[in-house]
Amino acid sequence: MFKAIVSASTLRDALDSVSVLVEECKIRLNEDELAIRAVDPANVGMVDLSLEAAAFESYEADGGVIGVNLSRLEDIAGMANSGDLIQLELNEETRKLHIQIEGLSYTLALIDPDSIRQEPDIPDLDLPAEIVLEGNQMDRGIKAADMVSDHIRLRVDEEAEAFYIEAEGDTDDVDLKLTREDLIDFTSGPADSLFSLDYLKDMNKAIPSDAEVTIELGAEFPVKLHYEFGEGMGHVTYMLAPRIQSD
Amino acid sequence: MEFAAFTARADDIDAEAADLAKTALVRDLFAAAGDDLSVVARFVQGRVFPAWDSTTLDIGPSLCYEAIARAAGQNVTAAAVEDRLAEMGEIGDVAASFDFGGQRGLAAFGSGGQSNLTVEGVDEALRALAAASGSGSQDRKLDTLFGLFNRCSPAEARYLARLVLAEMRIGVGEGTVRDAIAEAFLADAADAAAVRDDDADDEQVTAARERRDTAIETVERALQVSNDYGRVAVIARDEGETGLDAVQLEVGRPVQAMLAQAGTVLDALDAWGDVAVETKFDGARVQVHYDGGSENGEGDTDVSLFSRNMEDVTDALPEVVEFVEREVDVPVILDGEVVAVDDDGSPLPFQEILRRFRRKHDVDRMRDEVTVELRAFDCLHVDGDDLLAESVTDRHDRLTDLLGETDAVSNLLLTEDAEEIEAYEAEALDAGHEGIMLKNPDAPYSPGKRGKNWLKRKPDVETLDLVVTGAEWGEGRRATFLGTFLVSARVEESEDAEFRTLGKVATGITDERLAELTERLEPDIVAESGTQVDLRPTTVFEVGYEEIQQSPTYSSGYALRFPRFVEVREDKTPETADTLERVERLAEQQ
Repeated sequence: MFKAIVSASTLRDALDSVSVLVEECKIRLNEDELAIRAVDPANVGMVDLSLEAAAFESYEADGGVIGVNLSRLEDIAGMANSGDLIQLELNEETRKLHIQIEGLSYTLALIDPDSIRQEPDIPDLDLPAEIVLEGNQMDRGIKAADMVSDHIRLRVDEEAEAFYIEAEGDTDDVDLKLTREDLIDFTSGPADSLFSLDYLKDMNKAIPSDAEVTIELGAEFPVKLHYEFGEGMGHVTYMLAPRIQSD
Repeated sequence: MEFAAFTARADDIDAEAADLAKTALVRDLFAAAGDDLSVVARFVQGRVFPAWDSTTLDIGPSLCYEAIARAAGQNVTAAAVEDRLAEMGEIGDVAASFDFGGQRGLAAFGSGGQSNLTVEGVDEALRALAAASGSGSQDRKLDTLFGLFNRCSPAEARYLARLVLAEMRIGVGEGTVRDAIAEAFLADAADAAAVRDDDADDEQVTAARERRDTAIETVERALQVSNDYGRVAVIARDEGETGLDAVQLEVGRPVQAMLAQAGTVLDALDAWGDVAVETKFDGARVQVHYDGGSENGEGDTDVSLFSRNMEDVTDALPEVVEFVEREVDVPVILDGEVVAVDDDGSPLPFQEILRRFRRKHDVDRMRDEVTVELRAFDCLHVDGDDLLAESVTDRHDRLTDLLGETDAVSNLLLTEDAEEIEAYEAEALDAGHEGIMLKNPDAPYSPGKRGKNWLKRKPDVETLDLVVTGAEWGEGRRATFLGTFLVSARVEESEDAEFRTLGKVATGITDERLAELTERLEPDIVAESGTQVDLRPTTVFEVGYEEIQQSPTYSSGYALRFPRFVEVREDKTPETADTLERVERLAEQQ
């Protein structure tokens, strides 16, 4: 059983954060939250999302799992204005999802969850540094890096008490330095890892620019990016595996 | 099987130049493949999907270059990959020349899932990739492919790149795979391979070879019927020859079409005695599969149409689908042509059918513009009976039972009379068809074979430039036209221009052309008796024929077999036409 009413913007934020990594996903309709966990086909980037029951206008679920085509669902959600409410209801018999938006009703065929890639385990990582910054600060660093390279280096200079976003191109280099004062919060620690911009750019797209982003970072370790949406009742954690730093 | 183990063997197979030793290496690979046998049997040929399946990976070279670039590391672009390709010449070598694996996977940090690449894993990933469609699917394909390359060693990368672009380049063709399946899993073939190595005496060697050939034929038949190397390999291993013999055609899975080679009527009569003659349609080859209209989901079509290359062309030809659904009520596999026809049902040129065949858009609009119809000439399966081994005539009988009431079945003439064949051909050409097919009436259907049992009549062995010296008025619709032309050769060194008759030409001429020729020749009429006219020699025809034979019928003492009008030689006069001497010389040379 699943029946819920949610604001279009909250649903869209949730879907966007997952669709940057995968085409199809399983949605767990737990009693107290809606949860999605997915990893990209190359097993490099992961998303772990939860949307609390309280984020919905109304929410009733009993722990089922459905498989959806995300771009299809995003297209439908795109039919709503951001203030509109979207009503979702699972028909258990037909295994179709009925979606109603201001008089528009849409029946979405679901995908067999067993045909979708297995949900990943969440790696248990103990990352020494934690940087909290604004979405638009990170956006600025990523945009700058993208001008010169397809990779980005995130590192902490413990002595300088600063977080660096750096990129090295064939000819040009950029770096963005953010000191403790520039950041919302900062836990210094030994951290220096290189990441593919292809992934980070996509993840960054889904992060609202006014969101507070928590970056957990280590040396040659995956990075964790955490942010909230839906008035603090939606939680997204991205995890991205590093590239080996050649020299 | 680990993908690395597969690629190591592929390297060995590639390095081996001798055919028998190569086959032996493929045999060993199959024997070691375990649960991955069906995938391995396809991979060695650079295939992910069986031959009957028209699914493709749909990965263009540029997507492959981009995936390699991304896996190759920091700031390597697709353009750089292409540069290296220009330098090295082959994508496998290029892929092997990069150092992949710079991007680490989450699995290394405890997300579970991935370890080393396996044959099964690569197959699954590539299949998932082929299934991706819709917006963003190109990105997903790139991600998947990048993920695979990223986990490759150089040796693995070489074969992954080749597999993705469907070209293994290890010198393993269909014949090698067939022989290797037999040697790996059928005792008779395996023995023969062993005897080959030992110092057995000649008799034993011969006997062993014969057993080997029989075993290979068994594999070959199963391959022809199923069109699936992977499946045949597994059946050979698990069920042996008995299992292979039991492999049946499956409605919905196309078989390779039997093909014809060029040949003459005289070849056919010589070889077979009786000849089965059919109209050769100027259309596109199509294989019709119908499941008999059994329980199907809503909207599922139960007819599938496949092109000669086993492409699914069902959606482009709705009226053929409707025709089969209407006229047939049992499961069948038919072979035939779709032809474009005008309002009277007369055939239209080949270009017209091309406007319909393979069409994906505007099918309904084009359906109004160009009408297509099925012309079936063979029948491979009816209601549970496979007919591949039956004779042409038996198969045609089954076809007539199915569709005899319609216009969709070609007439089959069974004859040993060259004249009758000639008349049949004249009729076919008159009706606007391409010509005739000659078939060995006793021959089975051999999928994929361009054998000697089906011949496209080669219209002309030679042509002669002959003078028109007489004609006959036509009959019926052609009563106002000169329809048949008497052609003659010039006698060299004759005082006056003297001509000797050699044959009558009536075929190969359209109605429009006949009208033109009549208008042109009418002023030359010097005498008329009944429908026969004598003509002043003014005009030279290029005339095709199959053979010159001695004959009392004509004044030259020779007759042309299967004479056919080719063209008016505007550039020639009776004085420069071919001479009787040349005709005699050609007759000698035959």
